[in-house]
Amino acid sequence: MGRSGRKTESFSLLAYLAFACVMLAVFVLCVSVGSVSVPFSETVSLVAGALKGNAAPSTSSASIILASRLPRVICVALTGAALSVCGAAMQGLLKNPLADGSTLGVSSGASLGAVIAIAFGITFPALPFAGTMVMAMIFAFASIVIILSLAYKLDYSLSTNSIILIGVIYSMFVSSLLSLILTFASDKLHNITFWTMGSLAGSSYKNALVLLAALILCGGVLLRLHRELNAFAVGEENARHIGVNVRRVRLTVLIAVSALIGVCVSIGGTIGFVGLVTPHIVRMITGPNHAKLMPACLFGGASFLMLCDLAARMIANPLQLPIGVVTSLIGAVLFIVIFYRSRRVS
Amino acid sequence: MNTKKLLALLLALVMTLSLAACTSGSTEPAEEPAGEAEGSGEAAITVTDMTGREITLDEPATRVVALSAADCEFLYAVGAGDTLVGRGEYCDYPAEVLEVPSVQSGYDTNIEQIIALEPQVLLMSTMAQTEEQIAQLEEAGIKVVVSDAQDIEGVYTAVEMIGKLMGKEKEAEQVIVSMQAAFADLSNSTAGRGKTVYFEVSPLEYGLWTAGKGTFMNEIAEMLGMKNIFDDVEGWAEISEEQVIERNPDYIVTITMYFGEGPTPVEEIMSRTGWENVTAVKNGAILNLVDNELSRPTPRLKDGAILLNNFVVEHERELAPAA
Amino acid sequence: MRMLEVKDLSVRYGTLDIVKNVSFSVEEGEWLMIAGPNGAGKSTVVSAIAQSVASTGDVFFCGKNVRQYRSQELARHIGVLEQNHAVNYAFSVREVVGLGRYAYSSGIFAGKSDADDDAVEQALALTGLEALADKSVLKLSGGELQRVFLAQIFAQDPDLLILDEPTNHLDLVYQKQVFSLIEEWRKEPSRAVISVVHDLSLALAYGSTAVLMDRGEAVAFGPVQEVLNADHLDAAYGMDVKAWMQSLLKQWENI
Repeated sequence: MGRSGRKTESFSLLAYLAFACVMLAVFVLCVSVGSVSVPFSETVSLVAGALKGNAAPSTSSASIILASRLPRVICVALTGAALSVCGAAMQGLLKNPLADGSTLGVSSGASLGAVIAIAFGITFPALPFAGTMVMAMIFAFASIVIILSLAYKLDYSLSTNSIILIGVIYSMFVSSLLSLILTFASDKLHNITFWTMGSLAGSSYKNALVLLAALILCGGVLLRLHRELNAFAVGEENARHIGVNVRRVRLTVLIAVSALIGVCVSIGGTIGFVGLVTPHIVRMITGPNHAKLMPACLFGGASFLMLCDLAARMIANPLQLPIGVVTSLIGAVLFIVIFYRSRRVS
Repeated sequence: MNTKKLLALLLALVMTLSLAACTSGSTEPAEEPAGEAEGSGEAAITVTDMTGREITLDEPATRVVALSAADCEFLYAVGAGDTLVGRGEYCDYPAEVLEVPSVQSGYDTNIEQIIALEPQVLLMSTMAQTEEQIAQLEEAGIKVVVSDAQDIEGVYTAVEMIGKLMGKEKEAEQVIVSMQAAFADLSNSTAGRGKTVYFEVSPLEYGLWTAGKGTFMNEIAEMLGMKNIFDDVEGWAEISEEQVIERNPDYIVTITMYFGEGPTPVEEIMSRTGWENVTAVKNGAILNLVDNELSRPTPRLKDGAILLNNFVVEHERELAPAA
Repeated sequence: MRMLEVKDLSVRYGTLDIVKNVSFSVEEGEWLMIAGPNGAGKSTVVSAIAQSVASTGDVFFCGKNVRQYRSQELARHIGVLEQNHAVNYAFSVREVVGLGRYAYSSGIFAGKSDADDDAVEQALALTGLEALADKSVLKLSGGELQRVFLAQIFAQDPDLLILDEPTNHLDLVYQKQVFSLIEEWRKEPSRAVISVVHDLSLALAYGSTAVLMDRGEAVAFGPVQEVLNADHLDAAYGMDVKAWMQSLLKQWENI
């Protein structure tokens, strides 16, 4: 034990370096493998050239790597990191390993907001895509508040069963609202339908920048709250007794989570189960302490979603599968495993 | 997830109704309508619809409900638009069809709505309705006729069948002849020979969807001697942006609708990063077909084909001196 | 010195009065027992003092209304041990005990200090949990888990300890352990304990003062021997409590 004043509970620099290396390896793999095969050496020289600020050569491989694949992989990585951190935070806050934006219906809520923005043409002149984004964030937050107040009414201890029940009911409610909107805004049907299919295809560097900014801001807030999240994960009453400002921390976490989910949904559509699966896998390695869990989820979530995206791009090449199909496939199976285990324990 | 599933269904619905083609290829070989009327009853009309069911009418239908957009167009094409008493909600061509009362179609088909309109004949495509629904309609005395054109030949069959049903054989014949003439003309066109084309069904923002083998777009491309860059893909499919850039089409045809805000579909494609070096983008060879000319099995396929051919001819002429 | 003063404390759930105008106080060095039959509102009083449920009336700690304390500040003065704990995640014993030091953390990037480490190790030693320190709390027995949260409170190092039936589900060994540990802890200067108890013998054995509650009201408050006299208990429980207790004890004479 060091005698050097304040110590952190988080990882050593070496561990961070190891995580970063793994993520980087996955990143390199995902950039160099794709629908069109570009030689690895060419990929490297293209990316290196772009980093040096050279103008991109006017070849199709340059366009493919620099304008299509690279921004997509970056957006996928950032989305994976963001959704995983959100999932970890919710699972800690609610003391429930099955809580997540998609199981609770927060993502559906966010997409409802985005669809309303598309259907009724809500835009902000300054930023063309801000309309859907702001609406997605607002609806994500409203969804969390509705779901949790319902859940607390029903069952103050927020047991797994009631959380899942309310998530299912809320998702069904939202999808019926969605079809209602589709009926009234049939002229935008085409746009809305394709939007809700969710796609990270056509991600731009601008999207990546927005995601990065949201992740730094909201993810930063969540990572800083690791001690409070530990307290919540042990129990909300216990958290109150040891001096956690329960109301303020809960509100902060919920705002950060809904903002982050809102941004992710408005850019990439609803991608289910990432926020559920990653923290669960990561927890098996790091343990439940959020000082380690949260940063590891950043790296783990990014790597996991990049690999899912790679699978979505490659399985039926040249056809593309929606990335949500891959994550839901893996996620649903894991969901059942977690659910089964948690029921057996209790 | 429920939302996802619902929307996937809705997407399938949109595909079925507004694009009216299916990926499964030709499941039902389109049958020639049985031309001969039954011996008895001079005025009796008998047709075999495109699922092989026989339908007999005492006289040409005067009250018709058509569920699919293509069926509405057939009726107007043979000059029987005035018999339409109800239409599927997605029918939008020609413009006057919008004045006809609309009924729910596809997965939301409302049998009561249809029966209340008291049609003699209900025209619809194969995919949407269940056996039970058809039985209910038949019980109410409504003849159900299925048109299901999977290719240009299928369009001829459908037009002929509907012409017969409505007592408009001559008009139907004219429609077919004019289509055949236009296509014969187009297949002699040399402007597009050997050029590659990419059909874009949905824009990048929503994931790229294209029309592959077994679609009308592909058939028209072949007719013009052009090569659909995704003719290795079956039907309607989501494909990767990388593949489009790699396959480098000479022409792009987009059927994205424009709602009057933001960049037009053509401008949007032109502004995509990474697409600068795609030949079609470099040359500005992007055509936006906004009225489903190439995505619906109707007589207007010839209009779409002509529009595409004219566009290609014009572009090749512009490019010629430079080349 | 007066440590805690409760004045006219009331708690309502809807139209139901769970606690009605309860008043009492705790001086330094005292152990106040809150006794009474089931449904008397004992646990609710404790929750209201700890700010876990909404209440009317006032609670003063060292003369200052507890509502005016910041969360961490209050936790440095008052610690609460609940009767049940269900943990869903595999935190180690040391991590859970370490959470007791939350009240002393400050700043955004602050980690643990040596003082924190020492307090945790001491608490682990005091409760005999050193050997289990790195074990997952999911693998502990109920008694061990209760000791972990007792250790957490010791690490939290408050002035006033509030216990809600701390040994409710524990067997006699743990019951004795826990009460002896708390008794030792209380003997340090400027400390006091409030506990809700079911077992009136325990109340008599360890308590210095007591509040007897019946249907939401405090029917008696004062030195434990006075409060738990036969008349009071008969009224609250509707039976001759003392005779029953004595007849139980008599059974031991022949063994």
